[in-house]
Amino acid sequence: MNMMTVKQQGVWAALLWPYLLTASIPLDCKEEQGSLSRCPSISQEKLLDRVIQHAELIYRVSEESCSMFEEMFVPFPLRLQRNQAGYACITKALPIPSSKSEIQQISDTWLLHSVLMLVQSWIEPLVYLQTTLDRYDNAPDMLLNKTKWVSDKLISLEQGVVVLIRKMLDEGMLTATYNEQGLFQYDAQPDMLESVMRDYTLLSCFKKDAHKMEIFLKLLKCRQTDKYNCA
Amino acid sequence: MMKNLSEVVLLLLLLFFSPYAQGTRYSPPEKPALTRCRSPEKETFTCWWEPGSDGGLPTTYALYYRKENSDTVYECPDYHTAGENSCFFNKNDTSIWVNYNITVVATNALGSTFSDPVDIDVVYIVKPNSPEEVVVTVMEDKGWPFLRVSWEPPNKADTRSGWITLIYELRIRLDGEDDWEMHLAGQQKMFNIFSLRSGGTYHVQVRCKPDHGFWSEWSSTFNVKVPDYFHREKSTWILITVFCAFIFLILTWLLHMNSHRSLKHCILPPVPGPKIRGFDKQLLKSGKSEEIFSALVVSDFPPITSSNCEDFLVEYLEVYIPEEQELMLEESKDLHDNCLKSEGSTYDNDSGRGSCDSHTLLMDKCRRSKEEGRLTDQEESPIEAQRHQKKWNEGPLAYSHDDIVSPDTSSGRVKTWPSVFSPLPQYSSLNQMSSLEKVKQHCLSDSLFPPSSSSSYLTQPGHDNNKEALGASYWDKQHRSLHPQTQALWQIQAHSEVNISNVGRKQAPVDLQPLALRPTEYVEVQRINEEDMVLLQPVMSDCGAGCPRPRQEDDYSKVQGVNNDNMLLLQREVAGHEAERCPCEDQEMNGAMDSCVLSSIVTQKPTACIDTGTPARDDTALAVSGYVDTATIFTTY
Repeated sequence: MNMMTVKQQGVWAALLWPYLLTASIPLDCKEEQGSLSRCPSISQEKLLDRVIQHAELIYRVSEESCSMFEEMFVPFPLRLQRNQAGYACITKALPIPSSKSEIQQISDTWLLHSVLMLVQSWIEPLVYLQTTLDRYDNAPDMLLNKTKWVSDKLISLEQGVVVLIRKMLDEGMLTATYNEQGLFQYDAQPDMLESVMRDYTLLSCFKKDAHKMEIFLKLLKCRQTDKYNCA
Repeated sequence: MMKNLSEVVLLLLLLFFSPYAQGTRYSPPEKPALTRCRSPEKETFTCWWEPGSDGGLPTTYALYYRKENSDTVYECPDYHTAGENSCFFNKNDTSIWVNYNITVVATNALGSTFSDPVDIDVVYIVKPNSPEEVVVTVMEDKGWPFLRVSWEPPNKADTRSGWITLIYELRIRLDGEDDWEMHLAGQQKMFNIFSLRSGGTYHVQVRCKPDHGFWSEWSSTFNVKVPDYFHREKSTWILITVFCAFIFLILTWLLHMNSHRSLKHCILPPVPGPKIRGFDKQLLKSGKSEEIFSALVVSDFPPITSSNCEDFLVEYLEVYIPEEQELMLEESKDLHDNCLKSEGSTYDNDSGRGSCDSHTLLMDKCRRSKEEGRLTDQEESPIEAQRHQKKWNEGPLAYSHDDIVSPDTSSGRVKTWPSVFSPLPQYSSLNQMSSLEKVKQHCLSDSLFPPSSSSSYLTQPGHDNNKEALGASYWDKQHRSLHPQTQALWQIQAHSEVNISNVGRKQAPVDLQPLALRPTEYVEVQRINEEDMVLLQPVMSDCGAGCPRPRQEDDYSKVQGVNNDNMLLLQREVAGHEAERCPCEDQEMNGAMDSCVLSSIVTQKPTACIDTGTPARDDTALAVSGYVDTATIFTTY
């Protein structure tokens, strides 16, 4: 009798092992874009729309934060005229297309991956930015709130992009991040002006990269609907 | 040969030094400056610069740029597409999100000059073109028109793919005005404008801007004319016109009413103010009070006309003939006194009437006085009175007849005599007023009244004058109204008393001399005996001890009766101590001798037979001799 039960359990286990596997593997159904309850339930188009909305909001808030910081802390002569980047951004080394013609030539996969790279490379610096802004004496609460909000949203954006990649590209989960090495290096800047300029550069670079993310996602959406007329 | 060489050297020298010899200073070009760089669609961009002075020499300009991550310097690929002093970067040369470091170099024969470098990022220098295909159509919504503005994005801007996101703005202006009305349309390409003026012409313009960049220029103006929709507003105007006309009519009506003061009177009737006839308010303002109040003074107030004499008095004196005669007399006298007393105190019409006019009241009083009368009668000598009466009847009958006017006895009522017999001096003068006074005072004086009261009446001439006037008028009436139709109706009249006295006076040479010589003589009604005989009694007043009052004289002061010929039958009496036993010689109609005695018993007063010379007696006589003035009904026989 005992043998029979063990055998039966073994048969059952053998039959049901895929389900066990699936149960063990997390399906990555975390809440994406804030309002996603179940991953399989949402369609790809809707997910893409929500990702795009996220990117748009992030860009807008980052733009406001940058201008606010610029007005409060950056001396007038040092302000970037027409948003020219005086300092090199941390993401300049990333292989990201920088022209429309280039973008037209890369594939969807590469486009998504570019977005993912950008998002992942900015999560950590934003956290750092929050700590540095707290050290300012008269940093307005709105600035701090905005930066906090942006960093939170960026994380959710990353999750959404990951799911999107998995859905659109039928790829497995990407666990590796591109900037694990840490593109961002924290250097202690004793000089106040230097610190301010560094933070200012950080904010402006992030603003630009947020815009990139938005554009990429929009182009991706266009490609999904009308492949031949999009960029 | 030598000359040719020298000429060539000179020429060369000239040529060589000629520029210096001319004096013009050539210099390297000034530093140019990059004015702006713009990208219309975020795919290409153009930079413009401003050249400085060229230094007199032909100068060439070159633009060099360097990208963010490399040090390779590139020169502008296209100097001509965008015009002069410009550099056009095509798609292949344009990188987004990359900083460009651009420099312009001006070069001439003498040198070159670099401009200041400019860092740009194409993303942030986007200035799109104006929106295209702006179309404005007039559409209608439930009869009210509105404008629908639609446009297209600029041709080159790739908004469809999302490469560039544009937001639009439009403005509208009415033809003739200067102010534009701005409307932000967002990312939509269509917009509705309401609240238009009918028949107006509008100008519409649209522009756009990327989410990070510059506003485009305004598009070309699109003119649109809104059709007239007055027919929709006509109904409103009609309503307004009707309403205004209505208001106008009401106002005119109100004004008309106000002018005629009828509406005012209708709604707010004037409150009647105090108005005194003949009272001029203007005089009050001027301050003359005498003139003002003269209107208030009524000349004939208080009324003292003779016509009102009766109102104050008890109207009727009714003498009750049977056994209660004397009682009636007494009682009527009392009432009359009461009446007259009250009448004398005030001139109020009401006060004199109430107690006296009541018939039932008088009857009650008659009964009471009757009882009293039985107790006090002693002094009458009816026999003597009758005797006197006889004598009276012989003489003065005719005479008295002339004087006496028969009273009207048809009514069966006798008007009371308002007055008492006046004292003798007045008595002799035949003055009606004096006689009236006599009568009055006689009436007033009662057995109960103290003599002072009667004397007080005497001493109030002014007071009595009115009374006399009243009495006189009354007497006149009585004189006229006396009419002895029925023999049994005896009527007591003051006038008759006067006539009696007059008669007595006139008859003095015949019979009544002693009577005429008396200074003051009252003739009073003592009683009425059973034979309907009024027993009169002369009353002496203030005679004093020396008043020669004859005692044995015949007294013709008693009225025996009134015969058929309207003659007052007087009774001669003999004054004496035997007043109580005075023979009643009355020859009255009834012819009952017993009544004389009875009547003497009834009366309270001292009879004529009693010696009346003493003043005390006079007083008592005055006191007791009342005058019948009541409204007791005389029963006719």
